[in-house]
Amino acid sequence: MLLLLFKESLLFAWHSLNANKLRSFLSLLGITIGIFAIILVFTIVDGLENNIRGSIQSLGNNVVFIQKWPWSFGPDYPWWKYINRPTPQYYELDDLQKKCKTTEAIAYRMGKRKTIKYKSNSVQNAIVAGISQEFYKIKNFEISTGRYFTQTETDAGYRVALVGAEIAKGLFPYEEPLGKEIKISGNKAVIIGVIKKEGESMLGPSFDYQVIIPFNFARIMMDTRSENADPTIYVKAKPNVANSEMMDELTGVLRGIRKLKPMSEVNFALNETSLLSKGFDSLFDIIGTAGWIIGGFSILVGGFGIANIMFVSVRERTNLIGIQKSLGAKNLFILFQFLSESVILSTAGGFFGLLLTYIITALGKDSIEMDISLTGTNIILGFTISILIGIISGFIPAYSASQLDPVEAIRSN
Amino acid sequence: MKRPKVISAICIIGYLTIVFTFPQVFSPAIKKLGLFMPAIYGILVASNFIACVGIWYFKQWGVQLYLISFFCKLLFFILIHQISFGSYFSTLLSVISIFILLRFYSKMSPNL
Repeated sequence: MLLLLFKESLLFAWHSLNANKLRSFLSLLGITIGIFAIILVFTIVDGLENNIRGSIQSLGNNVVFIQKWPWSFGPDYPWWKYINRPTPQYYELDDLQKKCKTTEAIAYRMGKRKTIKYKSNSVQNAIVAGISQEFYKIKNFEISTGRYFTQTETDAGYRVALVGAEIAKGLFPYEEPLGKEIKISGNKAVIIGVIKKEGESMLGPSFDYQVIIPFNFARIMMDTRSENADPTIYVKAKPNVANSEMMDELTGVLRGIRKLKPMSEVNFALNETSLLSKGFDSLFDIIGTAGWIIGGFSILVGGFGIANIMFVSVRERTNLIGIQKSLGAKNLFILFQFLSESVILSTAGGFFGLLLTYIITALGKDSIEMDISLTGTNIILGFTISILIGIISGFIPAYSASQLDPVEAIRSN
Repeated sequence: MKRPKVISAICIIGYLTIVFTFPQVFSPAIKKLGLFMPAIYGILVASNFIACVGIWYFKQWGVQLYLISFFCKLLFFILIHQISFGSYFSTLLSVISIFILLRFYSKMSPNL
């Protein structure tokens, strides 16, 4: 019975919306814009968050980075305390490898932007990274063709190189790169491997745009004491060893290597990926809240628009309500009729808002090469908000219509 | 019977509370709790609003719905472990409102 009543009131609502197409369109426009604004912000935030978290994950959860500057966010960064610190040096790697018991692998890396040439082809601003032998044990990258450096090549600083997929594509559009001799700032190097395409990374350039060479070869063309080369020692913990335990050991060993007095402050930073995650958490919270406030107000305005149009609708159809009631229509039927009208309006608005978001994200995905897509959670959220706003904004007009006296309602103009 | 002023005050406070709690339905905090949490919380907010409309028209079903939505909301916050100072305050305000509403319950209209 109730279902039948609901079905009939839904039909009535549909006919009335159909009769005033322009008015219906204008009133659902408010909800469309509101849903579009809020869901678009949520979709972008979710997409960015997933991409950044993916990039952080790729750095490794059990890896600690020994650097000059600590990773820290916020306005109170005491840079003056860190500016005179020394940069991590390659010689420290040997001592660390000998003395640390909790580590699985330790590697050194420094990199600079250089121009890479092969015959008439060149790639500008490619990142040339000088690495130590164990680097591959810490950073996960696959070699699509060729091989990794041998221990001898790394130790003796052979003029060999591994190139990223995009570099290989830029230098050798029609040739096989393996065995070819490229020039890195005038220094010749033979390509021994091509790194498998990795895709875009939110945290710095991916391996696709890098040329990897042995550290002892890199030191010819880079100043190893220069901060611009971002010298970093990567340390990976043994399985079942907590990062905190490894960091305690590293602190002790590094203090010894750098001959720091027991009471003096450390002159190095031990950074871990959890620091980045925490920093980004607060950033996403701020963006999410800003989007929520902006979208919330748009929806609220859209809701007032629907409530307004529903009041007008009730006023217009007062004598019709009177006739319906005098013919036996129950209060509940009148209530459902107007409530369905506002819910249909707002749901349609929500649907168009979601459709618009889908189109914008699909277009944006191609141009920014980032995985931003409308998720199921956001679709459910969009429909929930639109149905809810329909109920809230339509209930008072619908209820006041259901309470009308049939005699007075018929008399009204 | 004419609506007493105290009931009008409860309804106005209720409407204002809904204006501020409605945006919470799609807040990042509620969204993080689960896929259907915004929908569940939204139903609670909507029923609270409908209850306020019922009380405004001095109907018994308004009080009944207000009581149901109050207990459901309380249960919801207990289940998601999100009880703050604000929720203690709003619970206290709701309990006081319920006592006042129950005093006038017999004088309210039993019809829809």
